[in-house]
Amino acid sequence: MATAIRTEAGPAREHADRTASTTCGYCGVGCRLETTAVDGRIVSIRPALDGPANEGHTCLKGRFAHGFTRSPDRLRTPLIRTDGELRPASWEEALEVIVAELGRIKGEHGSDAIAGLASSRATNEDCYAMARMIRAAVGTNNIDNCSRVCHSPTSFAMRKAFGLSGATGSFTDIDHAEVAVLMGVNPTQGHPVVGARIKQAALRGCKLVTIDPRRIELADYGAIHLAPRPGTNAAVVLGLCHVVRREGLVDADFIAARTEGYEALEELLEGYDPAAVEEISGVPAGRLEAAARLYGEAASASLLWGLGVTEHKYGSEVVQLLCDLALMTGKVGKPGSALLPLRGQNNVQGSSDMGALPDTYPAYRSVEDPETADLFEAAWGAPLSRHKGLTIPQMFDAAVAGELKAMYIFGEDVAQTDPDTAHVAAALENLEFLVCQEIFENETTKFADVVLPASAFLEKEGTFINAERRFQVVEPAIDPPGEARTDFEIIGEVSRRLGHDFGWETPWDALDEVARLTPHYAGVSRERLGRHGLQWPVRPDGSDSPTLYDAVFDRPGGRGHFAALPYKAPGDAADQEFPLVLVTGRILQHYNAGTMTRRTGNAELVDRDLLEVHPLDAERLWISDGDKVSVRSRVGRIEVEAKVTDRIEPGHVFTTFHFPETRTNLLIGQSADVNTSCPEYKVVAVDVRPIGEQAAFTPVVPDLD
Amino acid sequence: MSRNLVELIRRHHAVDAPTALEVLKEAVDDHGELTDDDRRRAAEVSGLPEAAVYGVSTFYDDLLAPRGERHVRVCTGTACFAAARETTIERVGEGLGLAPGERGADGSVSLAETVCLGFCHSSPAIRVGDTVDAGPGVAERAIAGETRAAAEPEWVSLLPEPVLVRRSGWSGLRRALGELGREGLLAEVEAAEVRGRGGAGFPAGAKWAFAAKAEGEQKFIVANGDEGDPGSYIDKYLMERNPELLLEGMALAGFAVGAAHGFVLCRSEYPASKPSLEIAAASARERGLLGDGILDTDFDFDVTIIEGAGSYVVGEETALLACVQGLRGTVSARPPFPAERGVYGMPTVVNNVETLSNIPFVATAGTDAYRALSPDTDTTGSKLVCFNERFARPSVYEVPFGMTVRELCEDVAGGLRDGAEIKAVQIGGPLGGILPASLLDTRFDFEPLAAVGCMVGHGSILAFDQATDMRDVARHLLRFGADESCGKCFPCRIGLRRAYEEFATDAAVDRARLEDLLEALELGSLCAHGGGIPAPLRSLLTHFPEELGLA
Amino acid sequence: MTKVTVDGVAVEVAPGATLLDAAKAAERWVPTVCFDERQAPFGACRVCLVGVSGAPKPLPACTTLCRDGMEIETEEPRARRVARAVVELVLSELPEPPAPRTELAQVAERLEVGEPRWGGATHAGEDDFRHPYLAFRHQLCISCGRCVRACDEVQGAFALTATGRGFEANVAAGLDAGFEDSTCVSCGACADTCPTDAITEMGLVRQSGRD
Repeated sequence: MATAIRTEAGPAREHADRTASTTCGYCGVGCRLETTAVDGRIVSIRPALDGPANEGHTCLKGRFAHGFTRSPDRLRTPLIRTDGELRPASWEEALEVIVAELGRIKGEHGSDAIAGLASSRATNEDCYAMARMIRAAVGTNNIDNCSRVCHSPTSFAMRKAFGLSGATGSFTDIDHAEVAVLMGVNPTQGHPVVGARIKQAALRGCKLVTIDPRRIELADYGAIHLAPRPGTNAAVVLGLCHVVRREGLVDADFIAARTEGYEALEELLEGYDPAAVEEISGVPAGRLEAAARLYGEAASASLLWGLGVTEHKYGSEVVQLLCDLALMTGKVGKPGSALLPLRGQNNVQGSSDMGALPDTYPAYRSVEDPETADLFEAAWGAPLSRHKGLTIPQMFDAAVAGELKAMYIFGEDVAQTDPDTAHVAAALENLEFLVCQEIFENETTKFADVVLPASAFLEKEGTFINAERRFQVVEPAIDPPGEARTDFEIIGEVSRRLGHDFGWETPWDALDEVARLTPHYAGVSRERLGRHGLQWPVRPDGSDSPTLYDAVFDRPGGRGHFAALPYKAPGDAADQEFPLVLVTGRILQHYNAGTMTRRTGNAELVDRDLLEVHPLDAERLWISDGDKVSVRSRVGRIEVEAKVTDRIEPGHVFTTFHFPETRTNLLIGQSADVNTSCPEYKVVAVDVRPIGEQAAFTPVVPDLD
Repeated sequence: MSRNLVELIRRHHAVDAPTALEVLKEAVDDHGELTDDDRRRAAEVSGLPEAAVYGVSTFYDDLLAPRGERHVRVCTGTACFAAARETTIERVGEGLGLAPGERGADGSVSLAETVCLGFCHSSPAIRVGDTVDAGPGVAERAIAGETRAAAEPEWVSLLPEPVLVRRSGWSGLRRALGELGREGLLAEVEAAEVRGRGGAGFPAGAKWAFAAKAEGEQKFIVANGDEGDPGSYIDKYLMERNPELLLEGMALAGFAVGAAHGFVLCRSEYPASKPSLEIAAASARERGLLGDGILDTDFDFDVTIIEGAGSYVVGEETALLACVQGLRGTVSARPPFPAERGVYGMPTVVNNVETLSNIPFVATAGTDAYRALSPDTDTTGSKLVCFNERFARPSVYEVPFGMTVRELCEDVAGGLRDGAEIKAVQIGGPLGGILPASLLDTRFDFEPLAAVGCMVGHGSILAFDQATDMRDVARHLLRFGADESCGKCFPCRIGLRRAYEEFATDAAVDRARLEDLLEALELGSLCAHGGGIPAPLRSLLTHFPEELGLA
Repeated sequence: MTKVTVDGVAVEVAPGATLLDAAKAAERWVPTVCFDERQAPFGACRVCLVGVSGAPKPLPACTTLCRDGMEIETEEPRARRVARAVVELVLSELPEPPAPRTELAQVAERLEVGEPRWGGATHAGEDDFRHPYLAFRHQLCISCGRCVRACDEVQGAFALTATGRGFEANVAAGLDAGFEDSTCVSCGACADTCPTDAITEMGLVRQSGRD
């Protein structure tokens, strides 16, 4: 008994008729799980003791929130909109409508009038299939995925600075870091298992520097907490670089041997002394200096960040500045010194790695690069567009302008999660044809012409790539219910009917094709992935890459690139009419749109979005804990319940977007990252007042330091 | 001990936060019981998570029984048992109309059991507020609300030159800081073979040497003043009558190992000990003997006096350290040993009060003189022993090792009073073997006592007279053992309960089952509590089997 | 590296390895109840005793460190006798036999511990099924500490604590008002590690028809 390798925690299974070892489909940690099902229903899920990312642990979502798979709301048949209502239809009917409409639109308006949206929750094989269908069957590069609204700035920036789009190390680097800087990320909520790892490291002596307008839980275990005004991250990072340089904590040898462009940064840093940074960001100079020293003096220090860095107008620039900080000090490519962007979704890394993007093929090779395009044309046997396609925000703009006529969206509820809900609604409304491939009806399917019933992560096979660039195997615990099918099957069938047959039998065939066509993933195969997965790049002999850049960066010349980018104000700011700044984000119990988690016991634990308000603001605004309040921004208004707490700074409010009734994203405007269009969810000027009050003159929030 | 909880406590200690236990004790002192608000406040202030605070609040006796304006605590320790069985608690309970652990409806009076008040010389004893009454009529006075402070006999030294009962002049510390130096002091203590006086008999020099070499930002000395053994009031006398000797001993320990701070954990059942130590420490500070730059050297050392909260096992060194930090007083597996990881995770020396009180003489007079205190044996130094109320002249006595138990009982303590005869004596505490009258000529020393299944232990000599039923003794000891089990290790947590159940009714005791239990306890227990209870039971099985009601 | 033998099998272990690590390396079974490899060893159950050459009594394998040359005997008679006696005591404190799938039941079976000889008190307590996912059955708690340690050392939520003393010891969440009122984040690490199903999944409770 105990001498065999125990791969699962907990008591032995009883009455199981189907078991599987799979990877969680919630967040980017990628816990390995052992599932048990009886009579087609999941009975229990336990963490795998040998999961590389989770080591025998997991969170309430992976562990318990599987009940949605058998929710009565599950889509079990295709739906076709007839006379304004969605009515059940057969697969044959639904597929015929899709083929007919897409064919018509392509004929009348061209391939570029059609766009696809791949789900970052779905497997690599699903996303690759979707991208191939849009490219080869439809003939356009209008394909994107939801990394657009989360870590696209990270991808852009890291490719610029280091060459590859992913974490430079692994989660285990946290265990070896003397210091860890957490910026714009709240791991104990959004990446619980990594959050737990960080907390344990902090209790063992790792010094945390937390940088967030809110006092996140890990700040209580950390050495220093900085609370900059939303939108001032760049100034803070430049300030840290300034102090590191001033105190002689740079690694001159590293800079000389392994980087380029430092001089430009040096010049820029002159203007970012701690006093100047305090002026911009509100972070006390002394604290900034202490944080910089901690980082600079440590033998090993890692940088972790999340959407609090990326979902900003200059998010991609802030990530580049974080890369600068690591390059200056040589704290990259070594154990304990890693840059770990905490990717949100379970497969947001993978969906982008697989090329479900308007401008790149798998592994970020440009669609405009003749060699790459030729390679895929030959492999797929179809002519391919050589110009970049539309990003998601561009798709909505094009739809509103009448240029984009059709969209095929699978596994993303853009009407709930994308910014500026009114604009999204207008876009979807204006399309001639919308296909949604989903597991539940949602805000987006309200606009759909055809809805196809698809599979949840517990019902499919393939791979995900987690935030440490680790390909991990997904195995189905149960089958899709009713007439629902796996996304892989559906996309394959649609593509075949559109005239492009993938020629695959299983998702593993798709994975093999990706490996064949992508040097960085060359050694990836089902057998090699086994129970522990592999971190790309994976060489043909199967050896993988836990740590990147230990000798050379993946750029022409092999050197890391410094970017000298000054601070610029965010796209929105508090003023007389909108005196508070709203930050939106996630909490532990729910995931993004809450599509899955709201249909599980998690809804019993947390059943609504709440607006966090500081006691001083609450007092000033006559708001008590539990009051319903109205929140108004330049573009929209919502009503939500207030929670008075001192975890947030005065002048800021925070809410989540897990419940469709709240419609939080009505408030978010068009401000987005200058390089990648990632929306600025994190800086929205708002007015907050108890319901029923008339808008009246409200003085501007005084400068608080 | 949870490394994480200790780390959280260490971080809060750095900002002078009290421990959770301190906050909870204050709350009970203030309003007689604990509320959830008290627990939340304790969590906030101390840095300990709320759940952990809840756990602390359910562990210690002082926090459990609700208190009325008059809180009557009746001692049910072995000396009080030897004097009056369970009659005292029964009479007081009847007289007040309360069961132990209850508070009267109008809140004016409450009743609880307590073990042990250190008035074993005048049993039975009852504590009301901070006054301890004892002797004939104590129960009636408690019922009537006329409790008065009982007298305590003077302690006596049998040595040509008293050592432990004599006030300290701090000559030991002076010599150590001067001619001896750190290395010299360590060498002297090791050579003197000072054995722990709290029961384990572990050589103090070895412990100190280990701690001196250990690495840590800070080091600590902890004096174990949680003399929980019923029948023992030796440390009480030291803490209340000669506190400066202990403080000097602690300072010497600190100097030897490189510690700048010490804690004394004294039992809350001795309400006079903490005030006595605090006065002594204040006085010592004024005279430059504690604090920064002691005696104009660069040696800093100061002390904090902490009170326990009612748990016998807190006398075990890892449980003691848990209590010092405000955690549940449960035992921790070793390694790591306290000398490596103790208070706040730092190297810590834990020594019994009497052990530390021995050090000043070693530092002043040297190994040979220390050895000469017990001329008739290889065991070094002198020993304080104490006697229970059954004896004619109960008190604390300083004696050399090597006298026979008979000499101690008859010559020193005057035999039993009122012409009574010794049936048996339990030496060293409730975990000590029981010596039948036939073996009274055994020498009072480590090896000779061990050879007859007994121990020196803490040094208490507790006589049972001929009227005592040994089955009652077995039941009494097992009840004590089960009540005081910290609850961590399985053999003790469950085994002591089962052992008590064997004797709890009048049913015959299954000997084979009992032997299995005793073996599991001896070999399996995590600490000397579960591991030690078998010893007196084996004595009874050997010497008084016919009284035990065996099947 | 440290070299020891386990039941005659020579193994090499890393510095700081315990006797239990050595036994695992030698693929020799040592029964445990309070041990979980995801947590630091606790030393509470005393079931993992093994014989070690030269030691006067058996030693707990999970907390004793290996030293070069140690000869470990996993089935040393006194060690196994005590292990059985302890498991028997544990079975005696539960109001009902442990479910066959629990670790406790499996250890008892493998050690061939039958019906306990002991009558006497068992744990009182009620089922707490308030939480959507976590079932708390206090009467099945054997105070092994694994759930408390999982919540401390793995998750870091510190929502659980040992309570009481001696035989009355048990476990509670927060201020003993249930999981939801505590700092619990519902990660289920406690349910994973519990060897008696004192904490288990509501899903499994429903499956066995107990609620």
